[in-house]
Amino acid sequence: MAASPSPTPTPANVLEVRDIHTDIGQFHILDGVSVDVPEGSITVLLGRNGAGKTTTLKSIIGLTPPRSGAVALRGREIQGEPAYRIAARGIGYVPEHRAIFRALSVEENLRIAERKPGDLSRRGDFIFGIFPDLKRLIKLPGGNLSGGQQQMLAVARALVPENGLLLIDEPSEGLAPVIIEQMMEAIRQLSAHTTVLLVEQNFIMASQLADRYTIIETGRSVKSGRMADLVKDEETITRYLGAA
Amino acid sequence: MTALWKNNRGLLIITAIVVVLMAGLLQSLEPKVWMSIMLSGATLAALYFLVASGLSLIFGLMDVLNFAHGVLFVLGAYVGLSTFMNPRLLFNTLPFFFVLVAAITVAQHFGRIFWRRIGTERGRRVATAALLLLAAAVLFLALRGFPIRALNAFNITAVGGAVTTAEAQEPMATMLRRVTMVLLAGLPIGLLLAPKQTKDELPLRPVWQTLLIAGVAVVIGYALLLVRDPGETFMLAMSTDVRFVLAIILGTVAGALAGVGIETALIRPFYGNPVTQLVLTLGLSIAGIDLIEAIWGEEGNPPMSPPSLFAANCRSDSLLGWFSEHCQSIDVLGRAFPTYRLFIIVVGILVFIAVGVLLRRTRIGMIIRAGVQDSEMVQALGINVRRVFTFVFALGSALAAMGGVIAAPYLGVFPAMGGIFQLQAFIAVVIGGMGSYVGAAVGTIILGLARAFGDHFVAAGINVPFLDTVIKGSPAIARASTVLIMAIVLLVKPAGIFGKKE
Repeated sequence: MAASPSPTPTPANVLEVRDIHTDIGQFHILDGVSVDVPEGSITVLLGRNGAGKTTTLKSIIGLTPPRSGAVALRGREIQGEPAYRIAARGIGYVPEHRAIFRALSVEENLRIAERKPGDLSRRGDFIFGIFPDLKRLIKLPGGNLSGGQQQMLAVARALVPENGLLLIDEPSEGLAPVIIEQMMEAIRQLSAHTTVLLVEQNFIMASQLADRYTIIETGRSVKSGRMADLVKDEETITRYLGAA
Repeated sequence: MTALWKNNRGLLIITAIVVVLMAGLLQSLEPKVWMSIMLSGATLAALYFLVASGLSLIFGLMDVLNFAHGVLFVLGAYVGLSTFMNPRLLFNTLPFFFVLVAAITVAQHFGRIFWRRIGTERGRRVATAALLLLAAAVLFLALRGFPIRALNAFNITAVGGAVTTAEAQEPMATMLRRVTMVLLAGLPIGLLLAPKQTKDELPLRPVWQTLLIAGVAVVIGYALLLVRDPGETFMLAMSTDVRFVLAIILGTVAGALAGVGIETALIRPFYGNPVTQLVLTLGLSIAGIDLIEAIWGEEGNPPMSPPSLFAANCRSDSLLGWFSEHCQSIDVLGRAFPTYRLFIIVVGILVFIAVGVLLRRTRIGMIIRAGVQDSEMVQALGINVRRVFTFVFALGSALAAMGGVIAAPYLGVFPAMGGIFQLQAFIAVVIGGMGSYVGAAVGTIILGLARAFGDHFVAAGINVPFLDTVIKGSPAIARASTVLIMAIVLLVKPAGIFGKKE
């Protein structure tokens, strides 16, 4: 099974992940993952539980640096740099499980993400335009928010500095259907301003949002292409994603 | 009811303890006795807090149990004592540290080039061994026969101005030779500390900054040595209050620097390997005390005389009276209480507020609070968490050292003082909840009061109602009471009063 991404004809790639291998402890988690993320797109990583989608995001941001392979942001290789420097190059990371800071207020959760003083006031209108609820909750401790609100906050936090690329890990996880609708709408809105690499188990959500996909199976990227082609390709869906 | 209990367990436990204390007051103690016990407890609590707050922050943020924290307390006490009583020791030893820092800074900066030249892994290993040997040899030659004990003998005699004697300090020429050799020894040490890989974590400092830092350090180092005689006379002529403030500053700075050194050398290379960190700090807690004994002697010193603000031989009626009289004790409900201990309490409260404001109101405080929960996520926001780690380690070390300085006039200065305080601080942090700042404060108050009341009841006994006998405890029970309290708190709330269950 050749693991090469199909060539992307039109816009340049913001991010190119080329054949990365990542170990966590003694476990080989990624065993050849390649992903292209074209400028302005929403690209989704698909695959079963434990396939290595989350680790791919973590390898890009540098929290689990790849042992080999390359991660190129706008053509510049960034693998092996410490996470804080990779992030400062303009990558926003929204981890799974709504990793907001519970002891910090909503405002502090946003302010801590500032890279330049005043980021939040500059971008406040944009952020609260997408997540109007957060404005109302601004003084509350993050820990007091509902699951959906925490997830909104985690995404909003990644929007505070001007990030050219967002890595969003399972934004729909554990949320009620109504909230998932809101979240999808939010991601649609913000994708007008930034490129998104998404991990999403919910295939319906993924297929409605994403322009492109890459399927990861046991640590390898096995197939990628246009979402529009995938939804017609029932064989691939059944084979890699189970009954869809 | 259960919900109330669950959400407010911390507060309820504290309330229960306060109620018990009040009951103790009503039952068997006169108000003036009760008050003075409370104040003694608060004095201890303030000192415990200075050690415990740093421990708690360091553990919360970095998951490092710093067993060497007690050493920093002792270090602070000794540096403070030397500044206050024996400036001669400072003028003859501080230059070494300044030139060492200068040389290390420069060599570390240019060390990358050195290591890049040596291409092979084998070559690097040989170079490392050679540099270590070289540094050790030069340091040995530089410091061989340095009359540290003679310098120390002035601790006591220097009060009020000592006569300069030829035996205590070496001639200037010898000292200049020693300082210059230490400067040279710093170069291989700096090379050893330089990053050996090309892709490293720390961004390169601009060259001018490195040279500026090193230049200033060298100048200060040599200047201190050259002015040692007039400098000593000048310092001993200062009022004891000014000198005491200076002692606090120097002790605290020494603690902060030692903290940076410990974090850089022993902790930073081993994040993700907590057992190694633990064993290293444990080892340092022993080796550090040995080092302090080597410099300042094993004997220990009686309590340092308090600065003149707290030294007049009289008893003030009120705080207002003390402002003009500077009496050594003050009237509290008809009983005398040493004013210096009130000062300790005030310092404890001020530090609690200052660090609290730092945590609540500043960006670095925000980063620290966020990092206590999830330091990886803080990194992923583009923040260099490792630098914050170093800052917090330095801050915690500085607070412990400051505690040592202000404890010196109260407890005396001896090598074992750190061990006691570190143990109590650990217990306080566990009671309060590891990683919780407010928890550390509450834990230390509980321990301080428990200790003070325990000591009182051991001495005076407890009048049991309806019985004629007075029950007296043994001193061992007073000492054990803190551990008993910890056991009880942990049974009720395994994560401590303010601890979060993870």
